[in-house]
Amino acid sequence: MDDRLTCILCPIGCELEVSRVGDKFEVKGNECDKGLAFAADEVLHPKRNLATSVPASGTTARMISVRLTGGVPREMIFPILAEIAKLRPALSVRRGQVLIANVLGTGVDVIATRTLLF
Amino acid sequence: MKAPVVEERGVVVIGGGPAGLAAALGARRAGAEDVLVLEREHRLGGILPQCIHDGFGLFLYKETISGPEYAERLAEDAVREGVLAETGAMVLDLTPDRLLRVNSAGGYRLIKAGAVVLAMGCRERTREMIEIPGTRPAGIFTAGSAQNLVNLQNLRIGNEVVILGSGDIGLIMARRLTFEGMKVRGVFELMPWPNGLERNVRQCLRDFGIPLELSSTVVEVRGRDRVAGVVTARVDEFFRPVAGTEREVACDTLLLSVGLIPENELSKRAGVELSPLTGGAVVDETLMTSVPGIFSCGNVLHIHDVADWASFEGFEAGRHAAGFLVCGAAAGPRVRITPGENVRYVLPQAAASGAAGLELSFRVTAPARGMWVTARGAATGASYYRKKFARLVPSEMQKIKIRKAVGEDIEVACHG
Ligand SMILES: Cc1cc2nc3c(=O)[nH]c(=O)nc-3n(C[C@H](O)[C@H](O)[C@H](O)COP(=O)(O)OP(=O)(O)OC[C@H]3O[C@@H](n4cnc5c(N)ncnc54)[C@H](O)[C@@H]3O)c2cc1C
Ligand code: SF4
Repeated sequence: MDDRLTCILCPIGCELEVSRVGDKFEVKGNECDKGLAFAADEVLHPKRNLATSVPASGTTARMISVRLTGGVPREMIFPILAEIAKLRPALSVRRGQVLIANVLGTGVDVIATRTLLF
Repeated sequence: MKAPVVEERGVVVIGGGPAGLAAALGARRAGAEDVLVLEREHRLGGILPQCIHDGFGLFLYKETISGPEYAERLAEDAVREGVLAETGAMVLDLTPDRLLRVNSAGGYRLIKAGAVVLAMGCRERTREMIEIPGTRPAGIFTAGSAQNLVNLQNLRIGNEVVILGSGDIGLIMARRLTFEGMKVRGVFELMPWPNGLERNVRQCLRDFGIPLELSSTVVEVRGRDRVAGVVTARVDEFFRPVAGTEREVACDTLLLSVGLIPENELSKRAGVELSPLTGGAVVDETLMTSVPGIFSCGNVLHIHDVADWASFEGFEAGRHAAGFLVCGAAAGPRVRITPGENVRYVLPQAAASGAAGLELSFRVTAPARGMWVTARGAATGASYYRKKFARLVPSEMQKIKIRKAVGEDIEVACHG
């Protein structure tokens, strides 16, 4: 075993035992297939989703929560947060609406996670 | 004076969070015609609208989404399937014969329910705070109220923060405040193990180099008008601070994440028997409390770390509440289900004698590796369940299913 990891993809938090076999990984302890991909990613290049919230345009506290459509390399977290901080989405916003497409060229989008109508 | 008009209803659900909305759906799907959810806030979804991080919905919606998305989807499902949901409606009182006093937009009113589902969620514990000596300056928040201020009200709560307790909300907030440019000095946990989920320790603390100090606590708060620092210390095996280990940590904000307590004021008024182990109602396998026709689910029954499980419990409670409208409560002999070695609690605490396929939820008292979980007959010693678990921790609720019919009291234990 090379590494012991906790899968963070869901709250079950399976404890994964990862071993490197040639250029492949052998994973034990995962309760679903997502754990396999997570283990490989986590050892080679950890990815994370992120969430924050920004006020709607023209308001101080009508908050629109946002997240990414997928994980990004960990070192991209703060640069992406800085991009999101510049956002002032116009009302109305719908859940799932893309607010920044392909943010900083990462291939994932920033989407609204709530519906807020005028 | 005229007697007030009493509104007659079928299934009434108190609380519109993930458990309550699911209970309403469960009741509709089981054929109840008239299902009403009463929610005191102006938005459905319970605690979830402020839980903007992802990690919800993997079991119910088969994808991981954020709290607000989960709440909206479940509320949309409920409305589409004919549930009546009323926001701004606070239930003030509940009697054993299911009369509710409600304060709502239209004013004060009385509702008589055929069946009631309790789904009021929980509140944050602050007792530990009261025991910390020192001043009471501004800058002390519970983790959940800080989450509400930051995520829903766009407020900056401070610059440098210490977190007491390693509950999930505290861990999530450590990351959230780091995102907001605050400096998180450390998380201090009394127990020798973290109180929150392992995934949160990894992605909220370790990713950002935030220290987690186990077996330690805050012994003093300093500052006059605003928090200026705290004194931390290590604790011994009896949780007493160890002299000579005190350390002053400068900060202007202290967050408390020291546990959640089921919110059972209404349950008490209705005469529902509560368990000292869970802080929630004592229920049978239909999630019915000691008061016939009153059911309980979600965080008001026992604290859930996964919203999906609160919803699944809601579906069941709602389904049985719909059944109660038609058939009333089942009579007959009951068996008791009790926690044994290294098990903090088991739910349900009772079941109809002879019930098969019982699903039990439990938590261990202390972390265990490679241990057996067993269910044994109290009278005969017969084995009803036996399985080896690679890893069990108190922060994660477990579920087991007993296939055999259970005709005697049983004890659930975790041992070598
Ligand atoms: C910070 C945090 C992070 C979490 N992270 C995750 C996660 O990543 N993944 C996950 O799956 N789960 C997570 N959870 C757990 C999940 O949110 C809970 O298990 C779930 O919300 C419990 O649902 P509930 O319906 O029982 O309670 P709640 O969501 O608390 O809802 C109860 C509702 O009842 C209402 N109510 C109470 N009293 C009355 C009254 N008298 N009259 C009318 N209405 C009333 C309240 O206003 C509230 O809306 C997290 C929880 C927290 C707090
Ligand atoms: S392996 Fe699957 S079940 Fe286990 S934590 Fe990861 S996503 Fe969840």
